[in-house]
Amino acid sequence: MSGPLLQVRDLSVDYLIDKGAFRAVKNVSFDIGRSELFGLAGESGCGKSTIAYAITRLAKAPAWVAGGEILFDGQDLLKLTEVAMQKVRWSRIGMVFQSAMNSLNPLMRVEDQFHDVLRRHNGFTREQSRARAEAMFKLVGVPVNRLRDYPHQFSGGMRQRIVIAICLALEPALIIMDEPTTALDVVVQREILEQVIDLQRSLGFSVLFITHDLHLMSQLCNRIGVMLKGELVEVGDVKQVSQAPKHEYTRKLWASIPQLPARAREAV
Amino acid sequence: MRFGLQLLFRQKKAVAGFIIIATLALMAMFAPILAPNDPAARVGRSHQPPTVSHYFGTTKMGRDVYSQFVWGARPSLAVGFATGLAITAIGTVIGLIAGYFGGRIDGTLDLATNAVLVIPNIPLLILLASFAGTVGPLAIMTIIALTSWPWGARMTRAQTMALRNREFITAARMVGEPSWRIIFVEILPNLVPLIGINIVGSIIYAIVAQTTLEYLGFGDPLNVTWGTMLYNAQNSSAIIVGAWWDIGAPALGIALVGLGLALLNFTFDEIANPQLRSGPALSRWLRLTRLRKSELEAAR
Amino acid sequence: MRIPLRRLGVYFVAFLFAIIVNFTLPRLMPGSPVDSMIAQLGPRATPAAIEAIKARFGAVQQPIWLQFVDYLKGLATFDLGVSVKYYPQTVTQVLARSAGWTALLVSCAIIFSLCVGVSLGAVAAWRRGGRFDAFVSPFSVVLIAIPPVIIALATLFTFGVTLRWFPVGYAYNPDLDPGFNLTFLGSVFWHAIMPVLTLSPYMIGEFQTTMRSSMISVLGEDYVTMGRAKGLSETAVMFSYAARNAMLPVLTNLALMLGAVFGGSIVTEIVFNYPGLGLTLFTASVARDYPVIQGQLLLMTLATLGANLLVDIVYGIVDPRIREERA
Repeated sequence: MSGPLLQVRDLSVDYLIDKGAFRAVKNVSFDIGRSELFGLAGESGCGKSTIAYAITRLAKAPAWVAGGEILFDGQDLLKLTEVAMQKVRWSRIGMVFQSAMNSLNPLMRVEDQFHDVLRRHNGFTREQSRARAEAMFKLVGVPVNRLRDYPHQFSGGMRQRIVIAICLALEPALIIMDEPTTALDVVVQREILEQVIDLQRSLGFSVLFITHDLHLMSQLCNRIGVMLKGELVEVGDVKQVSQAPKHEYTRKLWASIPQLPARAREAV
Repeated sequence: MRFGLQLLFRQKKAVAGFIIIATLALMAMFAPILAPNDPAARVGRSHQPPTVSHYFGTTKMGRDVYSQFVWGARPSLAVGFATGLAITAIGTVIGLIAGYFGGRIDGTLDLATNAVLVIPNIPLLILLASFAGTVGPLAIMTIIALTSWPWGARMTRAQTMALRNREFITAARMVGEPSWRIIFVEILPNLVPLIGINIVGSIIYAIVAQTTLEYLGFGDPLNVTWGTMLYNAQNSSAIIVGAWWDIGAPALGIALVGLGLALLNFTFDEIANPQLRSGPALSRWLRLTRLRKSELEAAR
Repeated sequence: MRIPLRRLGVYFVAFLFAIIVNFTLPRLMPGSPVDSMIAQLGPRATPAAIEAIKARFGAVQQPIWLQFVDYLKGLATFDLGVSVKYYPQTVTQVLARSAGWTALLVSCAIIFSLCVGVSLGAVAAWRRGGRFDAFVSPFSVVLIAIPPVIIALATLFTFGVTLRWFPVGYAYNPDLDPGFNLTFLGSVFWHAIMPVLTLSPYMIGEFQTTMRSSMISVLGEDYVTMGRAKGLSETAVMFSYAARNAMLPVLTNLALMLGAVFGGSIVTEIVFNYPGLGLTLFTASVARDYPVIQGQLLLMTLATLGANLLVDIVYGIVDPRIREERA
């Protein structure tokens, strides 16, 4: 299979309000290649999360996809029926949400939360699911003997790892991460991100990484897109966008990252 | 606050509810004009069906059901509303004190609230009423109010506690505002939507309790209320005999009040809890989503 | 026991409150209750019986606290006194006869209403703003506001008297002998339909409203979105992810409603002449049979407390987070 994994073409998303609509995403187009880490940056409310949810067609009311195409492996996701879309979800495109604190069903044991998705897509039995769950736990660094615990019994960082583990269980080709570590403290943030990079290198999935932390993104991603008020103002290779930005806003964003004073920089 | 009122009246349900209650209240107020004759007077033969001269027929004792209905609205509505307000007042005050002061005061009040909450109301009411003998509306009001405040107290306490921890209250305390002022001037206005729900819910409950007690015979049989009308109708076997108007008129009145209050309640709930609101945007979204779904299915 | 001490404390205080009310009320109105009961007994009023009544209701010279101790001692041995109307039957005997019928009615009504109300609430929330929601939800609020008396009378009149679909009274056909055979059980079932259907609308309305609000909150949670993101079927998400979590506040609501349910059952039994605790209470209050009335309050309070305790236990089983807290 050649060609980009994901092609977003002229995507527009509206928020329906009492009289009329507010266009939150305006004609956005970008590609994500295979095994590529693509970052989408921008301030709050610029529409980046909206795009993330639109790709998997999980946009909640009142968000409404007004136009465009989302081609995944050549297939337009917007033209699929709900049932067909359900097949694509998780098995080909996975999602990691902002606060894993709330992403796990509080009333289900963790191993059951693996089992329901594995049974749905692959027809696994309980033993098969458990085996896969154990493998995933090992991969992300969560003690295997805790499979039968409930989400509230884990710390925030652990929960995020569990969500990533469940995400990888079906070996999707694309993982969308919406501000995956904003809710965690800096040290844990670092650990988890490094783990994700490792996994990405070994398993080869693509990542759509959404964050407002430009600095982080520049360290992790291959390509970056910058959004401003619903429009994609710049997109390109991370080196080019960071060192020679074409758009005024991008320049301002880079400039806003606080720099260490010259002496401290030398010492580092 | 003003926004709340605007929202209230834009909702058709609230307007409908308000109209129903207002009509019944006006009817009660203008009783002397609408039904000039003494409702206790015997004016016809026993158990006559509705006719032109007696719109709602007659009771077993030959009394005009229509007159009774119109005059009976007065105590039924008045006691119901007054009791509802009393219940709300007691509950709000207790909830405020418990929620604001916390500590041991809260511990005691909360324990008392939960304990009274658990006790089944109607058996307790029946017990109190049977020891007191037949009671007039005022006694009924007192008994009901004294046993049903916990529900509102709990809600008020929870909300007060949430507000108490907000920054503006902390600021007020640091500036040295006296407690009573904080409670009445800072906290209370924020509780208005909650109190609205409380009032409507309490009135609904009060009317149910009052009707039940009077139906069981604890009301003053000489006082014409909708509840005692039911009691008398029941005792004269109106249903078995087929005199549906005898039971139907008071039942209709009570059901209408319930309906009106319920419609108001629904809207108060939506004001207090914005998550529950379903505006036109949501309906449009649902419609479009359904449309798109069927298009996609068809294209398969 | 997994139930926190605090909760048990509340139940204890409530029960204490009922006991104290029972004890003090007749003593607040000296003379008349005792006199009326003695008058009621008429020719059956032996000196022993009169003494017993006076002792129980405080028309004696004993200091109050001693009376209270005696009263408590009596309660501990399930001695609730002797009925005046059904003399010489004890209150316990009178109540035991009718308790079963009320239990049948109330439990059937609760189970039925829970199933219907929760389903309606879940669907209304899932298809929020649609036609189902626009009709069912306001209707549920209306159901809560209509007194059970009215519903009972309307049901009796429409289905019992006019349409004659269902029998108008009693727990079973009086011509039958009680027994575990199909005819008897069938008759019990048939006679229970109208009373259960009368008790249900209020509960259905409450459950629908609570479930709908709860579900709307839950549907906004991240784990529900993740459930859908996992590609699970809409039904699976609605049940395992949304409804399961939304049920918890409904359970709490059930506990709060129990008192009102017993109240409604009293009126229902009276309208349908159903031989449960409610009818017994009514005939007792008409006859001023104070021992039975008091015993009734205690029994119903105990039943409500017991049911509350049951709901607490179930909640603890269903929600693993609470299990942790109490362990």
